[in-house]
Amino acid sequence: MVPLENYLALSAILFSLGVYGVLARRNAILVLMAVELMLNAVSLNFIAFAAYLDPERITGAVFAIFVITVAAAEVGLALAIIIRLYRNRATSNVDEVATLKW
Amino acid sequence: MGAEQAWLLAAIPAGMFLVLVLFGRYLPRQGDYLGILAIGASFVLFFPVLVDFLDFFDAEEARLAIHESIAWSEVGDFHLRMGIYIDPITIVMFGVVTSVSLMVNIFSVGYMKGEPRYWWFFAVLQLFAASMLLLVMADNLLLLYISWELVGVCSFLLIGFYWEKRSATEAAKKAFITTRIGDVGLLIGIILLWRETGTFEIQEIIHQAEEGLIGGNMLFLSMLFVFLGCMGKSAQVPFHVWLPDAMEGPTPVSALIHAATMVVAGVYLTARLLPLFEHAGGMLMIITIVGLVTALLSGFIAFAQTDIKKVLAYSTVGQLGFMFVALGSGSVAVAMFHLMTHAFFKALLFLGSGSVIHATHHNQEMDKLGGLWRKMPITGTTFFIGCLALAGLPPLAGFWSKDEILLVTRDAWTVWAFVLLAFAAICTAFYTTRLFIRTFLGPVRDQQVHDHTHESGFIMTGPLIFLAVLACLGGFVIFHEVGEALGFPGGITEFVFLPPHEPHEYEIDWALAGASLVIALIGVWFGAFMYWNGSLARSTRLAEWNPGLYALITNKFYFDDMYQAVIDKGLLGFSYVVAWFDRYVVNDTGVDGSAQVTGYGGYLLKFLQTGRVPNYAMGIAVGVVGLAIAGLAVTL
Amino acid sequence: MNATEVVWWVFAVATVALSAGVVFSRSVIHSAIFLIGSLGGVGAMYVILTVEFLALVQFLIYGGAVTVLILLALMLTRQSVSGEPEKVTGVQAPFGILVGGLLMAILIGSAVGTDWPNDVDDTPTNIPIETISEQLFDTFGVPFIIASVLLLVALVGAIILARQEEGDA
Repeated sequence: MVPLENYLALSAILFSLGVYGVLARRNAILVLMAVELMLNAVSLNFIAFAAYLDPERITGAVFAIFVITVAAAEVGLALAIIIRLYRNRATSNVDEVATLKW
Repeated sequence: MGAEQAWLLAAIPAGMFLVLVLFGRYLPRQGDYLGILAIGASFVLFFPVLVDFLDFFDAEEARLAIHESIAWSEVGDFHLRMGIYIDPITIVMFGVVTSVSLMVNIFSVGYMKGEPRYWWFFAVLQLFAASMLLLVMADNLLLLYISWELVGVCSFLLIGFYWEKRSATEAAKKAFITTRIGDVGLLIGIILLWRETGTFEIQEIIHQAEEGLIGGNMLFLSMLFVFLGCMGKSAQVPFHVWLPDAMEGPTPVSALIHAATMVVAGVYLTARLLPLFEHAGGMLMIITIVGLVTALLSGFIAFAQTDIKKVLAYSTVGQLGFMFVALGSGSVAVAMFHLMTHAFFKALLFLGSGSVIHATHHNQEMDKLGGLWRKMPITGTTFFIGCLALAGLPPLAGFWSKDEILLVTRDAWTVWAFVLLAFAAICTAFYTTRLFIRTFLGPVRDQQVHDHTHESGFIMTGPLIFLAVLACLGGFVIFHEVGEALGFPGGITEFVFLPPHEPHEYEIDWALAGASLVIALIGVWFGAFMYWNGSLARSTRLAEWNPGLYALITNKFYFDDMYQAVIDKGLLGFSYVVAWFDRYVVNDTGVDGSAQVTGYGGYLLKFLQTGRVPNYAMGIAVGVVGLAIAGLAVTL
Repeated sequence: MNATEVVWWVFAVATVALSAGVVFSRSVIHSAIFLIGSLGGVGAMYVILTVEFLALVQFLIYGGAVTVLILLALMLTRQSVSGEPEKVTGVQAPFGILVGGLLMAILIGSAVGTDWPNDVDDTPTNIPIETISEQLFDTFGVPFIIASVLLLVALVGAIILARQEEGDA
């Protein structure tokens, strides 16, 4: 018997790892992967809640589907931006791009 | 038409004001005939009102006043009504205001011919007459205050009619601000009375005072404030300074302001509220003292004035002082009687001086005039009548009313008041004589001015003749028989009275009349002695006899200089401090300072914008964690 | 401890380990490979939760399409050709650990500390796919269509952004 808290804790760990990745890593693509981790943690949360608390309607699963859809779109656009950036600046490190400031 | 429709008297000129303001300049002759038509209609409608009122009036059955009112405004359980209140005082004022306004309007057609803004002049004259008529029939203090201020605005507009002249705008401002100071007092007084009684209706307030519901210090205080307003409007010391300066306006305006409308508003209000003043401790004493001081001071100042209009202005101030003395002595009838006779002869004198000024091409310095009687016989003769009336010689109007004032003063106060007032009367006779001799008699002083002088046309001499007749005969309404013949219950003292007092029939007091005549003759003789043949030799010697006193009089007792000093030292000093505070504290520290702090803060904060995405992400993450911690702290 | 629990713990530990590999690995390529594993682990969790349809979607879209896309992007932006070891973390990495740790503590703490309404110790029973389809095409029909439009727009946008323009190197 696996309780709901286990899923929530797992999701929290995944999310926090994602946060660390976004904050710490320099490579833009890796930042994107960390964002994917966070999105996955959220989807897992949705589905766990849906399965345990709302098994009749399971609305959370529908939200997870939307999250996946939007994530796919986001990945497509983000990677396009990164390729564009690389082509213009010859780098994909986020901390080397700092033109938009004072 | 009955007396209930008396509001038409004010409504017709007010409506014509709108017409003239909007369309006046496009009308043929710029609409001056419309102005005369409107004020003439008021004058004509006065007579049915008078007849109707006389039918109604019965002193024995206590039918003393017609009161009509309509709902004005309702807020919660506060009801405000406005209406007209017509009693003998109002009737006298109606007669004076409509007749003098009509004469002034007719005279202006000749006097103002060819002036710029001719239409505007006539428009404001209509508004002036309308507000004054509304003032005298208002049944509550609020309506009265509104018309009171309207009168003030009109005087401002008319005194400053020649606004291209700097002195005219200054005089207009001075008149407006000086009367304004008094008006604030009036407003405070009205509010205090309302707080005490809960009503604005004059008769209701008087009724409460008579029942003893209000009284004591509160009533004294509110009446003192009300009287401040009266002093400002009626140019009593120390508020008299605006009136001589108001001579900057066109001369017909001077006649209107100083004879029939603006300045008598204060006298009217004091008369209207006299029962309240009687209940308010020593207010009657204060009124008498103010009137006496004004009569004496203005008499002295008028000695040394060389401008004809200025002499007349100070005589107006002085005669208003006489009226206040009469009111202070508790006699409404005498005050209103003098108000009426004064309105006629003072309007006559002002219009006469206007005729002189017009004929001599705006020359109003006595030093350049002289010997005008032969050139201008009609103006000279009517002016002579006016002067005799002002000096108080029988049987002209001024004699009877001044005699009556002396009588009531003698009865009401001790002998000193009588003596001082008699002395003021001598001064009046003296400067009046001086004015007439130096203007119309004696040698020609400026031949060039003299050669161009000519008698004015009938449009100007007509009103003079009309007013001269009134100045001759107006005094006789004091007699019982004359009043009865005209349809009144009797002489004016039997018609105008306020309820607690009984009407009384006038009986001539031969001793006093003789004294009065002697007083007038002393003044006239002394004036003639000093200035006969227009020679200044004796008066110059008198001036040199005591130069300090002479300087005091020519400088009008330094009132203007004193006010100027107060403004220069006090007000400007205070303004300097305020300006300093505004510049350095409000502006530099407050406004500029806050802008600089914001700007520098922005300069410092902009370095937070590193442009590096991870820093922003860190900001978001820290924010989320912070919010989470805050949320936990709140729930736990 | 029954079979389900054993399986859950195995997959949970594996998922956490792979995810840590994603964010801590020095090589970006390794990170991408670990990401595939991590996404697969989450998919396995869906299976244990008996939402097989979602697991299928997870494997197809994430494990297939997204990772392939990421690998492709990595190939196109390959860097440090010199082979010199590059610094993979930024200056705020220590703060990242701090914030991430704090967040994890708060989330786990509140998940455990909250009193959940239903009896949440039961393993969920089999959830029919019909329920999901009903929800998706009926209740959330309009959002579903809007999401498809979003995908189309993103597709067009990505093409425009990544297109080689005239004058580009």
